[in-house]
Amino acid sequence: MIVVNNKEKLEWYEGMTVQDVLDKMGYVYPRITVSVNDRLVQKEDYTTYEVPDNASVNVFHLAHGG
Amino acid sequence: MATKTKAGPTKYEISINGKAATVVEGTYLLKAVMDAGFNVPTLCHHKDLTPNGTCRLCLCEVEVNGKKKLVTACNYPVRGEITVNTSTEEVKKHRKNLAEMYLGRWPNVEAIQNIAKLCGATDKEKYKSELTDENPKACILCGHCVRACSSFMIQDILGFAGRGIKRHLTMPFGDVDPHCVGCTSCGYVCPTGAIQITDDMNNPVDPELIRRHGMKVNAEMATLDKLQNRMREVGTANIVEVMDAYDLLPVHNFKFGKHPDTPKIDSKVMTRDYFTQGAADACWLGCSMACAKAVDGFELKTGPYKGQKVVVDGPEYETAAGGSNMGGFDLDFIVEYNFYCDTYGIDTISFATTMAFVMEAFEAGIITEEHTGGKKLNFGAMDEALECLHEMARGEGFGVEVGQGVRRLKEKWVKELGADPDFLNDIGMEVKGLEFSEYVSKESLAQQAGYAMAIKGPQHDEAWLIFIDMVNNQIPSMEDKAEALYYFPLFRIWFGLLGLCKIVWNDVAPADNSKYPPQEAAKIPEHVENYWKFFEGMTGIPVNEEKMLLQAERVFNLQRLMSYYFGRGTREDDLPPLRAIGPATVEEYLSREERYDKQMKEEIGIDPEGKTVEEKLAITRDHRFKQYNIVLDASYKRRGWDENGVPTIERLKQIGIDIPEVLALLEKPEQ
Repeated sequence: MIVVNNKEKLEWYEGMTVQDVLDKMGYVYPRITVSVNDRLVQKEDYTTYEVPDNASVNVFHLAHGG
Repeated sequence: MATKTKAGPTKYEISINGKAATVVEGTYLLKAVMDAGFNVPTLCHHKDLTPNGTCRLCLCEVEVNGKKKLVTACNYPVRGEITVNTSTEEVKKHRKNLAEMYLGRWPNVEAIQNIAKLCGATDKEKYKSELTDENPKACILCGHCVRACSSFMIQDILGFAGRGIKRHLTMPFGDVDPHCVGCTSCGYVCPTGAIQITDDMNNPVDPELIRRHGMKVNAEMATLDKLQNRMREVGTANIVEVMDAYDLLPVHNFKFGKHPDTPKIDSKVMTRDYFTQGAADACWLGCSMACAKAVDGFELKTGPYKGQKVVVDGPEYETAAGGSNMGGFDLDFIVEYNFYCDTYGIDTISFATTMAFVMEAFEAGIITEEHTGGKKLNFGAMDEALECLHEMARGEGFGVEVGQGVRRLKEKWVKELGADPDFLNDIGMEVKGLEFSEYVSKESLAQQAGYAMAIKGPQHDEAWLIFIDMVNNQIPSMEDKAEALYYFPLFRIWFGLLGLCKIVWNDVAPADNSKYPPQEAAKIPEHVENYWKFFEGMTGIPVNEEKMLLQAERVFNLQRLMSYYFGRGTREDDLPPLRAIGPATVEEYLSREERYDKQMKEEIGIDPEGKTVEEKLAITRDHRFKQYNIVLDASYKRRGWDENGVPTIERLKQIGIDIPEVLALLEKPEQ
């Protein structure tokens, strides 16, 4: 089980990447910053960076709109 | 070894002077070399401008599949596993030769002298000729200015003419181009001083300060916008599909947040079939963001200008989302109502939100064809909606009633048709008599309060907190939300007072904005600083967060007091309709039943099992209004207002506006 933005819980599985988390959450917004257990993940690493079980993933969407 | 994964970028392991480096495909070699810690001389390269390989000084040796060749590093994209050598004897020989040629032509230009030194070129005489220009501020044809004009301003005022030794910088036909707005980008990037800037407009105290910060924005627009929000390409409409993906796009009078037909009105279709591209279509010429879009040659299908081809300014996001709110998933309709609202002087948001309310009332049987002049006003009735708009402008028929807006329609239908006031108040999306703008706020308490507490009514230009609150979960406590509802309205009011645009604050962000902790990052500190520097550069008065908030808070409180004086500034005026804070109907509850049931169990602590939808709706309603009132209390407290939402005398004293004229507003509310 992993927690996204200290709120949403997702089932963890072996090989789960940051991109998998973003897909699962439906996070398609282009201006986001992702950290896994407080470690910043670069955009080019989303598809390769594996999220460990029990991780806290923060996906920060930069305010927009309005 | 190349690493390729399903959707991600390919990376290559390359060797630079024997040092291993991992490079994302497409990265220009010069950047890879610099990132690896090696220096390569260059004259024409500029970090914010498109590389063009003019000066040839960044030559490097690249080995691909065993074959060696010389390439200009600045515009050579890495597309494979390569071995790079930045300073072979051959490379050094070429660079020295080039530097000597530059030195022969422009011997006294400092930038040239520095490069010559780096390349070991000292002989000024070797290439001396009749072309030699002794001017220490001579133009060295690096092209920075030409590219800045194009990349920063989307203009082509400056260009090169002539070939070979006749190449020179010029404006079209060698004349001063009247289209030049004097943005000074060319002078700013000129490395020699060949282009001098004369500041003789508006008499700012420190034009250099303004320019430094303005150019930062220009550079971000030139380099980052295409990777971020594509404001130049699509403008604000870029978020139509984003809002749909996050369940935030208003559909059918804010009942839902997404719809299967959204792809028919999203930014891809607008870009492909509607917007005229390639023009500097800014709302004012000289803006490097140029987010205002236009549809050219649009043939109108209805109304007084039917059959004519017109230019339509927009559609912006709100206008497109107004379309989905009315169930009008057709860009022809959206562009047409956009045009006629503009032409008639009607706000697209108020029209769309009112029309969506009318459509729901029609579907609920509150009004019938008898009241609408025979029009079947179901969701998606686009022709009929346009007819209402034309009637509104002509001052006849049902359109006149629609033109009164949601609040008056509610009152009228309760009084004249005996409609259920509770239902109409639940679904009528207005506060203080103003219609909601086009975002679904149900899952963000802070956004609900940002809307409903806004002094002029539910307009998001005080606080747009949906992502910070609902998606990022950055302001989880009521106090956090209250703090955001304190800071953001004040900041936005402050730059609004200065006449500065909001878009360059947060529709593009510095590449390294994530270096700040999230709550700070949400403010985009460097862009806030830009605004402070614009103020300081213009007035000579330095400003910081404390001073900014004080200036804004004075105005904000004065506005609130004036609203109070005119009977629109107390707690009851800050209460949203149910639909703004949660599901208002059974249909709506069922559409997101899983979400609401989960919340009931986890947040309210009530097991939804065995309860009817009506019961669950009532429980959710009760809980959400309670939550809303808590955030309202916290916000009032943070702002220094009493529990009725009225600024306290103590607070007015603290911010220095406890003058008799202001205090009089407190004493004599006029109902």
